[in-house]
Amino acid sequence: MSFIEIENLTYYYPNEAQAALDNINLKIEPGEFVLLAGGSGCGKSTLIKALAGLVPEFYGGKIKGDIKIEGCSIAAMPRSELVQKVGIVFQDPESQLVMTNVEQELAFGLENLGLEKYLMKRRVFEASGALSLGSYLCKNTPELSGGLKQKVALASILAMQPEIILLDEPTSQLDPVSGEEILTILRRLNEENGITVILVEQRLERCFHLADRFLIMDKGRIICNTTNPTVFSRWALESGSPFIPPLAKLFVSLGFERVPLTVKEGRAILGSVLEKKKGNLTQSEIKPVPKVSLKEKEPLIEIENLWFVYENGQEALQNINLNIYSGDFTVIMGENAAGKTTLLKNINGLLKPSRGKIKIFSQDADSFRVEELARRVGFLSQNPNDYLFLNTVREEVLFTLKAQGLEDKGKVNDLLNRLKLGASQDKNPRDLSSGERQRVALATVLIADPDVILLDEPTRGLDYQLKKELGEILKELQKEGKSIVVVTHDVEFAAEYAQNIVLMSKGSIIAQGDKRAMLTKSTFYSPQISKLFNNYNDDILTIEEGKEYLRALNIKRKGGIYA
Amino acid sequence: MYIYQEKDNLLHKIHPLVLISYCVVLSLFALLFSHPFYLLGLFAAVALVIKAADIFKEWLFYLKLSSALVLMILLINTLFVQLGSTVLLWGPYIPGLGKLRITLEAVLFGLNMGLRFLIIMSAFCLLTFVLHPDRALHLMGRLGNKWVLALTISTRLLPLMVSDFGRIYDVQRCRGVSFNGKSRLKRVKNFLPIFNAMVISSLERAFQLAEALQARGYGVGKRTLYSRELLRPRDYLIFLSVTLAVIAGIWLTWQGAADFTFYPRIQRVYLKEGLLAIFYSLFYIIPAILAWGWQKCRLLKLKI
Repeated sequence: MSFIEIENLTYYYPNEAQAALDNINLKIEPGEFVLLAGGSGCGKSTLIKALAGLVPEFYGGKIKGDIKIEGCSIAAMPRSELVQKVGIVFQDPESQLVMTNVEQELAFGLENLGLEKYLMKRRVFEASGALSLGSYLCKNTPELSGGLKQKVALASILAMQPEIILLDEPTSQLDPVSGEEILTILRRLNEENGITVILVEQRLERCFHLADRFLIMDKGRIICNTTNPTVFSRWALESGSPFIPPLAKLFVSLGFERVPLTVKEGRAILGSVLEKKKGNLTQSEIKPVPKVSLKEKEPLIEIENLWFVYENGQEALQNINLNIYSGDFTVIMGENAAGKTTLLKNINGLLKPSRGKIKIFSQDADSFRVEELARRVGFLSQNPNDYLFLNTVREEVLFTLKAQGLEDKGKVNDLLNRLKLGASQDKNPRDLSSGERQRVALATVLIADPDVILLDEPTRGLDYQLKKELGEILKELQKEGKSIVVVTHDVEFAAEYAQNIVLMSKGSIIAQGDKRAMLTKSTFYSPQISKLFNNYNDDILTIEEGKEYLRALNIKRKGGIYA
Repeated sequence: MYIYQEKDNLLHKIHPLVLISYCVVLSLFALLFSHPFYLLGLFAAVALVIKAADIFKEWLFYLKLSSALVLMILLINTLFVQLGSTVLLWGPYIPGLGKLRITLEAVLFGLNMGLRFLIIMSAFCLLTFVLHPDRALHLMGRLGNKWVLALTISTRLLPLMVSDFGRIYDVQRCRGVSFNGKSRLKRVKNFLPIFNAMVISSLERAFQLAEALQARGYGVGKRTLYSRELLRPRDYLIFLSVTLAVIAGIWLTWQGAADFTFYPRIQRVYLKEGLLAIFYSLFYIIPAILAWGWQKCRLLKLKI
């Protein structure tokens, strides 16, 4: 008997004809760290909600089959017992914190269970200690950062001492450092306390090495279930699944016998076939880097000695100098509160510079109002939901046209088709998947045909496939001469699609330049593949470049497979 | 998030129940007493406590806001109450009211009412700025869980809605919607999509929150209450003074000593009434005395 047993589980949401879970059979052993991935709407969230008893109890709908924990069906288990066995942490920390104070939040679940006061005190003390939240107990939750809020959500579940923790993309709304911290905590809980962890995650490169079992879902079914990372990687390659971390994809696609889980392991494998800085090809030998002669062009946006100070006196931008040219694809990266979003808002006129100048199309930005600039400078903010309030996708896009006094002339149809939204144009945008919502929000910006497109964290919460689709759309726009400026924490995305990188810290630009110069030889701001080839070939950023480089070296294979 | 600000003084650290008792008793006797000496005494006492709590600035703002209402009380009394006998001014004839007659008694009665209102407002100000809303809500949790939870969640969601509004407003501007047009109707119309988006987002958030409540066992049985509030000597001392104030206040009311007659002619006042009012007000000054002692005397700080 396994710890968790799912037998022939099929589930339909109310009023839905298509099964959200389609004949799921799964066994999970105690203490396993399960990594669950899949495309948007594939049923992964539904599966963990079924394990937590929320499906069907909270959602309603039709269910067949059974879920057993330690041989007991959860359908027959009292809820008070189930919540002490299974804890669930959701994607958005804002929507799961109930109380206004951290200590009260940690105690909330315990109060619900009717525990004695002395026991609650002890549990709150233990959970806050385990997650280093002791010094935040008296703080108000709304004042905490996103990372801390997610830690509080996790601690409040831990206080209930569950044997299984389910996490639905807990790091998708967080910056990489906070996300990394949450994953480290999960590993510790799994390794030191033996808690079974089932993690739904999109960015596999961050947690691939943690997993004991890999599950991939599609259309409500489990299409891959294995405990072997190499088997998983080969399956992903053969089936064309995008759900594979860059490192594993590189090695498996070259036919290596073993797939590394971490950069460290990957470098050890490379070390056995390559020599550091000896006889290596440089990037220029593989593919010449296109040189962009910036000085020949007139900048679309010219920022000179820009300072921005918020009303509370915080200097969010300090002496920023930056030019953005037609056809640029610039990615702005940096820690939280580095001033990235503030810079975008200064460019599109939502904020007015405290000192310094911004010239847009050779005119002082001060002479434009935000609404006037909207036609030429499009801005996609972090949350696509903020754009969606009308009944259909088409109406949403038409709203922008109308607000800007523009005529349709078939533009809406063309754009919706281009963004693969043609079939969804009469649907309510709030009923669409996260990737589709993102594309609708992008459509509301692109319909005005702006010359400059500013995007704030557009890849947040998107899976590999959706990120790729977004990247391709932006690339096309770049080819058409549009200037793309993206604020992101996503190094892999930047490495794949950016042309220039701007690194910001504490309101200043600390470095800017070509992506190859900026993203290689960096401890933190470099993609997995670049870290892998560090000191072997410092010019490599993407999987394709890595493959090309290794193939060019013509390393001998043993029986068609690398050693 | 709150207008409340944590300050390092004894009054911010007393037990919420004690502070609530103090404010309730103060407001209750401000309503029961009509003698201006007692009302002045209560007003002076609460002013001292407010000073000791280091919220004088905030209180002055409250007083400024309240002054408009006090002025209104004064005007209504002066113009509409014709009971006094000491006429200060004859005004014009007003249909339905007759000839306007402003009397000293009506003016003083209006002032007395205004003073009463200021005492109650001061008690409210004390509660607002000295007691953390979470502590108050948690204390109320003993009375009924569901509505307190609803109130707590509302308190938590309010700042989120404010931030939603700011974001959606910016997004609309970036889509070309102008909120500065000349037509007021058009401006109002342009705000509608913002509220629409806010309502949809709030409903989605409410649904997710309900799911989180379910996942954390809300409603599985009888809840217990987690609290780390402790009663200290300072709480007992203040509670004792409040209890004495209640006993003395009931006695004064019983004896009619705190009553005052305004109409038709203002009653005479005596020095002993003033002395008794000062003595009675001392009960309400105890928290201020303790707060100063706590700040100045190390031994007192250690002991209470």
